[in-house]
Amino acid sequence: MQATLIFQQIVNGLAIGSVYAIFALGYTLVFSILGIINFAHGAVFTLGAYFTYMLLGSPVGFNGLLAQQRLPFGLPFLAAVIGGGVLAGLVNILIERVAFRPLRMRGADSLLTLVSSLGVAVALVNLIQYLVGAEAYSYPSNVILGGLPVSINLSVPGQPLVLRTVQIVIFIVSMVILVVLTYFINYTRTGKALRAVAEDATTANLLGINTDRLIWITFFVSGFIGGIAGTLVAMSVGITGPYFGISFGLKGLAVIVLGGLGNIPGAVVGGLVIGMAEAFVPSQFKDAVAFVVLFIVLILRPQGILGRTLVQKV
Amino acid sequence: MDSFISTYGFLLVSMTFAALLALSLYLPLMTGQLSLASPGFYALGGYIAAVLSTTIWKVDKGATYPLLALVIEMILAAGASGLLALLIGVPALRLRGVYLALATIAFVEVLRVLSLNLDITGKAIGIFDIPQPFSSKFSYILVSGPMLLFMMFFIYQLERSRVGRAFAALREDELAAAAMGINPTNNKVLSFVMGAMLAGAVGAISAHFLNTWNARQGTFDASILYLAFVIIGGSRTFIGPVLGGLMLTALPEVLRALATQPWLPKFAAQFLTDGRLIIYGSLIVLSTIFFPQGLITPDLWQRRMKRNERES
Repeated sequence: MQATLIFQQIVNGLAIGSVYAIFALGYTLVFSILGIINFAHGAVFTLGAYFTYMLLGSPVGFNGLLAQQRLPFGLPFLAAVIGGGVLAGLVNILIERVAFRPLRMRGADSLLTLVSSLGVAVALVNLIQYLVGAEAYSYPSNVILGGLPVSINLSVPGQPLVLRTVQIVIFIVSMVILVVLTYFINYTRTGKALRAVAEDATTANLLGINTDRLIWITFFVSGFIGGIAGTLVAMSVGITGPYFGISFGLKGLAVIVLGGLGNIPGAVVGGLVIGMAEAFVPSQFKDAVAFVVLFIVLILRPQGILGRTLVQKV
Repeated sequence: MDSFISTYGFLLVSMTFAALLALSLYLPLMTGQLSLASPGFYALGGYIAAVLSTTIWKVDKGATYPLLALVIEMILAAGASGLLALLIGVPALRLRGVYLALATIAFVEVLRVLSLNLDITGKAIGIFDIPQPFSSKFSYILVSGPMLLFMMFFIYQLERSRVGRAFAALREDELAAAAMGINPTNNKVLSFVMGAMLAGAVGAISAHFLNTWNARQGTFDASILYLAFVIIGGSRTFIGPVLGGLMLTALPEVLRALATQPWLPKFAAQFLTDGRLIIYGSLIVLSTIFFPQGLITPDLWQRRMKRNERES
């Protein structure tokens, strides 16, 4: 393989891998606090992309209940991205209220919570389809990039190498989110409280930490970065329809298992590894990579690359 | 009656398939294994039937496909699914709870991507014109009906056998069961293989029933759907999944019928037809919250039996 081609694939892998990483962080945050996997995370990811689209003031297509409606205003792109993330976070809090809290209060089996979050995902995805139809949407490209060129051509004769500006934006935004989140978890009061709850919810509660409030914060942050991940992917490939978060949601599972469930640096490593792996296999088998990796990791090292060995308690 | 069958014949057969697929998920659940692999085996069985009946045992267009060939296909599909289940089951079933669910999701997705890319499975287009062994869709009930009754009888007997009791023990407490001399791995693999064989056989007949087979048959959506059958119906008895499969498959038609009621406002009628999957998802959430054990619970049974004893 030519050096430029390898470099091109590394760039592609880093761009998509960094989105996988922040998306998977949303799963991991919830898992580390509650010990459950929120299967509705893929739907929240989709919602984030649609919210951003609406906040930009773009019109809905010809199908669905909201056909040809649009908001009376349009936000600048950066504000729309953040607004989309905030709305996705709020929806995630609602999901927690409806699908997780009643089961948690009763101390239900975690598999039951898994099923109820799947139910939320089905309902949400189809609600999107009901409201705005199944067609594909894409952000107007002049709004996303402003005056920036679409791509940077670094080709030399015979050796093509093109960096899409969107890829660079995606990578930078993902890294900013990663840094801010790491700071938030490790160095703020709320972050410390979060880690305490993740370690032992009952003791944390006894020490005066408001667990319920922290669970809400966790779901908000998880939904916020999930929604922004949705917007980032939609910037690159467009919103392909209400189902576009499903495959992402499943790949996110592979990422968190690879890194170790509930392990935050693990999610980042897992995301980058899977993004890289996908960039280097033939494109028609790209979608299988994450699952082959997931299956092998589960068999060989269920605790993930960076995870601690779990001890089965009697 | 004739018009009823011509209208709802397809639905009735689909309902029996759904009940059978729910049972294929219930079988591993008997040992406490949440496996979402059924759609993968279902798809595999369907591809086996579709490939065999359109290539090797090809019949002329419009001719009736021999019933014997269908039965052989179902046996082959069950065998192949069982073998594959054995291969992946031995390592995968060491995993517990959510890890096993994830591994089986991964298995289904890998199979789906493979079937999208292999020549023999017709890639993304799939396989068309699968020959029909029956002249009407409803006649498929001649195979699926007895199959459902047989499986219910089989599981009823299984639950009263030594193996079934070992399954139940594993489901309640794996460590305690192992301490009592029950081999967890063997029993778990056995229940997993039985579920896979059932799903494969249903896939084989479904391929003929649906006339076409493609990669959309074995998806994550299907995994959720079968899981919903089991969870809403009730995962503690085999009646629950059967009822869940029958009811939830009929639900869209019931909603459609409801939507034609004249007293219903227009927006509500539209929601009932177009928004049925929203209702579906909400039902899953509500039933996990309000009926955590499903509609059919073992208690329901025992209460009924006790009352009968008192009366007699």
